[in-house]
Amino acid sequence: MNRIRDEIVIALAGNPNSGKTTLFNALTGAHHKVGNYPGVTVEKREGVRKRGDRVYRFVDLPGIYSLTAYSLDEVVTRDFLLDRKPDLIMDVLDSTNLERHLYLCLQFQELGIPVVGALNMSDEAEAKGLRIDAAALSSVLGIPLARTVGTVGAGIDGLLDLVDSVVEGSVPAERLPDYGDELEGRLEPLTAAIASDPAFSAAFPPRWMAVKLLEKDADARARLGSHARAAETLELAASAIAWVERHFGKDAEIVVSEQRYAYIHGAVKESVKLARTPDFSVTEAIDRVVMHPVLALPLFVGVLWAVFQLTFALGEYPMAWLETLFAWLSASLSAALPEGLFKSLVVDGMIGGVGGVLSFVPLIIILFFLLSILEDSGYMSRAAFATDKILHTFGLHGQSIFPLMLGFGCSVPAIMAARTLKSPRDRIVTILVIPFMSCGAKLPVHVLLSAAFFPDRAAAVVMLVYAFGVLMALGSALLLKRTVLKGRATPFVMELPPWRAPTLGGLAWHVREKTWLYVKKAGTVILAASILIWAVTTFPAREADAAELAAIERSIAEADPGLDDGALESLVANELSRRALEASAAGRIGRFMEPVFKPLGFDWKIGVATITGFAAKEVVVSTLGVLYAAGGEEEGADASLREALRADPAFGPLSALGLMLFILLIPPCFAALGAIKAELGWKWLGFSFAFLLAAGWLVAFAVRQLGLLAGYGG
Amino acid sequence: MTLADLPEGAAFTVGSVLLDSEVGKRLADMGFTAGAEGRVVRRSFFRGPLQVLIRGYSLLLRRCEAAGIAVESDYESLGGALPGGRGFGRGRGRGRGRGLGMGGRTGIAGRGRGSGGTCR
Ligand SMILES: Nc1nc2c(ncn2[C@@H]2O[C@H](COP(=O)(O)OP(=O)(O)OP(=O)(O)O)[C@@H](O)[C@H]2O)c(=O)[nH]1
Ligand SMILES: [Mg+2]
Repeated sequence: MNRIRDEIVIALAGNPNSGKTTLFNALTGAHHKVGNYPGVTVEKREGVRKRGDRVYRFVDLPGIYSLTAYSLDEVVTRDFLLDRKPDLIMDVLDSTNLERHLYLCLQFQELGIPVVGALNMSDEAEAKGLRIDAAALSSVLGIPLARTVGTVGAGIDGLLDLVDSVVEGSVPAERLPDYGDELEGRLEPLTAAIASDPAFSAAFPPRWMAVKLLEKDADARARLGSHARAAETLELAASAIAWVERHFGKDAEIVVSEQRYAYIHGAVKESVKLARTPDFSVTEAIDRVVMHPVLALPLFVGVLWAVFQLTFALGEYPMAWLETLFAWLSASLSAALPEGLFKSLVVDGMIGGVGGVLSFVPLIIILFFLLSILEDSGYMSRAAFATDKILHTFGLHGQSIFPLMLGFGCSVPAIMAARTLKSPRDRIVTILVIPFMSCGAKLPVHVLLSAAFFPDRAAAVVMLVYAFGVLMALGSALLLKRTVLKGRATPFVMELPPWRAPTLGGLAWHVREKTWLYVKKAGTVILAASILIWAVTTFPAREADAAELAAIERSIAEADPGLDDGALESLVANELSRRALEASAAGRIGRFMEPVFKPLGFDWKIGVATITGFAAKEVVVSTLGVLYAAGGEEEGADASLREALRADPAFGPLSALGLMLFILLIPPCFAALGAIKAELGWKWLGFSFAFLLAAGWLVAFAVRQLGLLAGYGG
Repeated sequence: MTLADLPEGAAFTVGSVLLDSEVGKRLADMGFTAGAEGRVVRRSFFRGPLQVLIRGYSLLLRRCEAAGIAVESDYESLGGALPGGRGFGRGRGRGRGRGLGMGGRTGIAGRGRGSGGTCR
């Protein structure tokens, strides 16, 4: 490649978890998600780096083990490399594990695209006592190599220098891997046959195609369809495969792998030396406990329990401060602003709605921080070890644990993460049950309701709700696997990365980003929803005439003759605002839907809140905030939503529990529904919606009926 | 002998992968090719997954996949009499260097043979 261009498109590719995204971030200044488990990146991302007058356009890709793709994220990488043809492939290699990482590198070489290798994680290689002779390795393989440490951004310039020298053509010619005389003897005529169609071989390098055909790669065969002499070539490939299988006595695709590994093994043996063996391995020491054959599973449950307990324990205080702050704000604004619609909009609509949600920010920060630690440290893969057996029993795949755990944060990335599951059936089941993993946005709902109705054991009740969600996920997976998604279990093979200390910068950035997203959501979706709710609760405005007023006064006075004037007045005001609320648009809509919610013991306000909750689940809280602010006394702004809920006779512990489970189980917010649609299409979205709705309604109904039977009112 | 038969700490050399082509190829891609050396790092109870060290990195796989990988090892299989002492045989160099997996229990898990290839 000799042409010098100003912009170079560079694909960052390599095995999963090799540090591609870390390097991408270091190269481009981006802050994409990094995590210490395979399959963090599931879609391609672009970023730009400028140096001198040259523009490097980097494309971060999902990790792959081979150019034969099995799962959707792997398809993204394969298709990008084959169809978009980057100018250069930067193969990010884990220096502690060169054999397996170079195996893929050989396949990149065959693509006919220049390859540059980053010997990443060179800090870990050194700590392990590995001495890598980069120059020797580079000349044996014919790939320019540079040492890097992605986490601290070391070696970036050296890497860019290599890119420059490749682009300027000052690097010696590429070398192709040698498959040994027997295979080369078959590959030669096959390559020639493929090269006989110049248009085809311009799109797909003949040598690469020949190897892939020998490996029986289904995608390569399909691509061969556009070859001028496709049938002949396929026949030639078939006879080559037959020859190889006869000669070696095993499958041709296995022979190809063996030859590749043999080639690499030779190269690595010469250039990588174990200078010393460290006598202590931190990873092994931790794993002795964390991956204990018996204790691993209880420990996993303990870890999750600890995450949520810590979230509540640490979040309690800042949350109380924020609540006080918003109560003060609302009180001083209602004192300062003149009586009227504007005041009602600001105090009831905006502060009542958004303030209620914003006070949960500390909780969200802590939850995301703790979940990020699990992702960055390497615990996720240990969790897979601990839970594989259980997940397997319930029809899920061991790898489903990654998306499911992400679901505790937010369903959207969790649903996308399911792309790493190879079997479509596993993927569909996983996506269908992810909404049962109570996401961060549902946490405010649970915390609000438990604090209001179970003040003595609020945390325990929230944990119960979480646990119930997990049980529902497992049970539904089993049900789905036994009915609509029948099929055989699929294999579980997963690399286990070493433990790594989470980088503080990465954690901080991730948490900051999540928090910012949450706050932004409060300022946009939730604000808009709050204003909307305020509007539909305020209009059409209803003025009571003198006759009605007198009638109300009379009926209240009759019911309780001993009332003094002040009490009477406030009861009348209450009754008036209740009537106004019921006459408003919201009241009418709520009334219309009441038959659905009545059997669950929910009044129309909750009905409205569940509907608005589709915008975002925190909106349930903000909606209740607005509804209770509007329905309450005019000057009752300092009474928190919690107290307002408690004071509502329609609400009690039983309906609170029912509501938590209802919100937990019913279909997720629009964003998550959109993700399900994008991943699985309309049909499965429809199924998912109906399934979740049925689950939520039935569970809430059962809880109510059982509760009533057991003698709990309300 | 298959990988599923080996006790914790046992070093092995891969013979061949007997699994159907898709998993077989994936395992070959990940380094399970004839002659590759490895070691069983740990086995979980209740027939859960195995941790295996292969080509210098750790891998988790289910017992049923492990039962489809034919290996050679100096260790006796779990089904037979268990060796009393540990730490001899081929695994020495790699295993001991990292101070891994020694001193654990030997072969408590999995009564009898591996699942024999049918993965359920
Ligand atoms: N010690 C050390 N750790 C690194 C280095 N580069 C990356 N890491 C860590 O390795 C883990 C994986 O990094 P990622 O950048 O997410 O890897 P990836 O290749 O993008 O992974 P996938 O997207 O899953 O394919 C993270 O925990 C990083 O912090 C390095 O040079 N040294
Ligand atoms: Mg990545």
